[in-house]
Amino acid sequence: MPTPHVSRIGIIHIALASFAAALLVRAGHVQLWQGRLWADRAARQHVTAAEVPAPRGDILDARELPLVQSRELVKLSVAPREVKDRGALAKALAKAGVPAPWVRRATDVKRVWVTLPGRYLPTDVAGLVATRGVYAVAVGERVTTTSEGTRRIVGRVDGDGAPVDGVELALDTFLRGVKGAAAVVRDARGRSFESPTAPGVAARAGNTVVLTINSALQEIAERALGEAAERMGAEGGDVVVLDPHTGAVLAMASRRPGRTSAATALTEPFEPGSTLKPFIAAALLAGGRARVDEVVNTHDGEWNYRGRRITDSHKASRMSLAEVIHQSSNIGIVQFAERLSPREEFETLRDLGFGMPTGVPYPSEAAGVLKPPGAWSAPTAASMAMGYEVTVTPLQLATAYAAIANGGELLEPALVKEVRSPDGRPLFKHRRRVVRRVMTPELAAQMRELLVGTVERGTAVDADLATFDVAGKTGTARRTAPGRGYVAKAYTASFVGLFPAQEPQFVILVKLDNPQGAYYGGKTAAPVSKVVLEAAIAARDAALDRTALARHERPRSRLSPDSAAAHSASGTERLARAQSAAAEPAIVPAPAPKAATPRGPVVLSLAHLPKAKPRVTTLQAVPEVRGLPIRTAVRTLHGAGFRVQLAQGYAPTADATAPAAGALARPGAVVRLSRQR
Amino acid sequence: MVAFVLVAAGVVWRRSYGIAQSREIRVLDRERTQLVAERAKLESEIRALAGRGRLAEVAEQRLHMHVPNDSQVVIIPRPARADAAR
Repeated sequence: MPTPHVSRIGIIHIALASFAAALLVRAGHVQLWQGRLWADRAARQHVTAAEVPAPRGDILDARELPLVQSRELVKLSVAPREVKDRGALAKALAKAGVPAPWVRRATDVKRVWVTLPGRYLPTDVAGLVATRGVYAVAVGERVTTTSEGTRRIVGRVDGDGAPVDGVELALDTFLRGVKGAAAVVRDARGRSFESPTAPGVAARAGNTVVLTINSALQEIAERALGEAAERMGAEGGDVVVLDPHTGAVLAMASRRPGRTSAATALTEPFEPGSTLKPFIAAALLAGGRARVDEVVNTHDGEWNYRGRRITDSHKASRMSLAEVIHQSSNIGIVQFAERLSPREEFETLRDLGFGMPTGVPYPSEAAGVLKPPGAWSAPTAASMAMGYEVTVTPLQLATAYAAIANGGELLEPALVKEVRSPDGRPLFKHRRRVVRRVMTPELAAQMRELLVGTVERGTAVDADLATFDVAGKTGTARRTAPGRGYVAKAYTASFVGLFPAQEPQFVILVKLDNPQGAYYGGKTAAPVSKVVLEAAIAARDAALDRTALARHERPRSRLSPDSAAAHSASGTERLARAQSAAAEPAIVPAPAPKAATPRGPVVLSLAHLPKAKPRVTTLQAVPEVRGLPIRTAVRTLHGAGFRVQLAQGYAPTADATAPAAGALARPGAVVRLSRQR
Repeated sequence: MVAFVLVAAGVVWRRSYGIAQSREIRVLDRERTQLVAERAKLESEIRALAGRGRLAEVAEQRLHMHVPNDSQVVIIPRPARADAAR
């Protein structure tokens, strides 16, 4: 049998066919089996993933007005060695506003990488970014309101968009959003652009945070605080306005020269002084340990108690508990407080929230100091009754007074009203939260009545309004310095008010650090409260319910001169005794007042029909004294029943009064004479 | 062969068109970002200029106006009929 003969050409054919088959198999393997793998590798070489920054969420005020918004800018970096035309780059950088030294650095080939300072609008640097060797990174910038107090509350973010302090830090998880990713393709010239085919992941914006702050009221509070601090030479101060029925913080102004961060009303506790006395009185009344008309010996204003000298500004031989609160008697409150055991005194203050943070979302909120009885020394009980050896933040103190205002419930204060997702879905809504009941509604009403007396005839007459009742309490506490204890002639002046007294809508706390001259709380902080309340009443959008307010407006009709004189004498005389240190110009007895030229009302607002209750009131129009010699002006004002205070600096003639001519004010109220600015 | 060239040319044109559109989208997106950024800044400036802090100062200094005290503010009662109608 012949063996098959395979020619050489046949072998070559077989080999070529096998090679072709192998190529086909390999091609099929690469294309079909490994196709995805190679496609991914190719994509990795041509397409790079770029991070898409997520814009931080907006922060709005209670009326939904933006306080902080985000906008996207770019940060530029240059690799000088990659740049071909450095002259053109230098011109372009200079045109974009890059400082000359940085332009030189960016075109210096000795440097490998230069990150330029500042941030730029994307379109402004579009030409630059297209240049080889120039790299842009998108960064978010926060556009913040100009209000310093608001900036202290909302906080800051650093250059990389990371939160530093304030609400920005406390609510970062809500505000920061989720970063996205984009596939960027490079073309033949090395220019990059987003891939039209590769899918990216869109960035998700942060949530919107709505604060309880009312920006109109915030501006009013900041302006009043700033003007008062400058006028009185105070080192700083705080103003807190709280809605006592919801716990919402409506305004929180802080002022510290040289420091623009931190809402110090939350972070810096202080010894409250006499503003703590009403809570001791409330504990005594609640336990039946004292009555408001019960009288103690106040030793004519000087008393040696366990080797310690206690003094009163208002010197009297005897005072009732009500008068102790009205005149802020240290001797009286110490004697009354002796009826409470240390544990009772401690528990009273602890239950009011002192010594622990309130829980508002703010980093570094201070707890204050409230020592337990085991850590007390012999004089601690008396000191605490006078508001010493205990420190509170302005917000804690305002929250405690809110309990008096709302009928006895201690509320958790709120700084955040709502958190919403970018599509408007609510994620959080503030609900009124009662921490505990600290006094009965009847006792709270009794305390409000006591505090009305403080404003009408006690140490806080300068906080009184002409047409509404205000309740409140002043405080004047000595200040300490690190390592030096109490410092001579350094005081913290404060006032906490409830407005209107019958159905409070605001709790307002004013604190001034070390005011110069007349340092008493009634002479410094109380008038600031009045300024804030007057401006809030006049503003259309300052979180006041005018319908409710109208129910408590005093009738504007004038009463008989006899009752006016009686009211005036009572308030003015007591104030003069209590505030003897206050610098007041001598007032010359005056002839009949010059005819007043009352101005018409300047703000009109709508409200429901007020059910005015009959109330004894005395209002007097401030006479027009503009252009009169200063002595005549003082006489005229005094003749109209007002006390007169001269502004600093000599002026031969009177230019303006505060309150202005035509305004109604109570006889005995202070009218300031000043030169026109 | 002609069909292959036509198909290939179609694929290249489609891709080039996509890339051009992508670039256009990018330019427009950049403009939008810039406009949004400018709007945020301008709105902030408007709020600052229209805010009480500035207006009150200007009104007092240039127009000699003043913040009225509470006795100069009249709260006008709303008629009971309007209340009932609401």
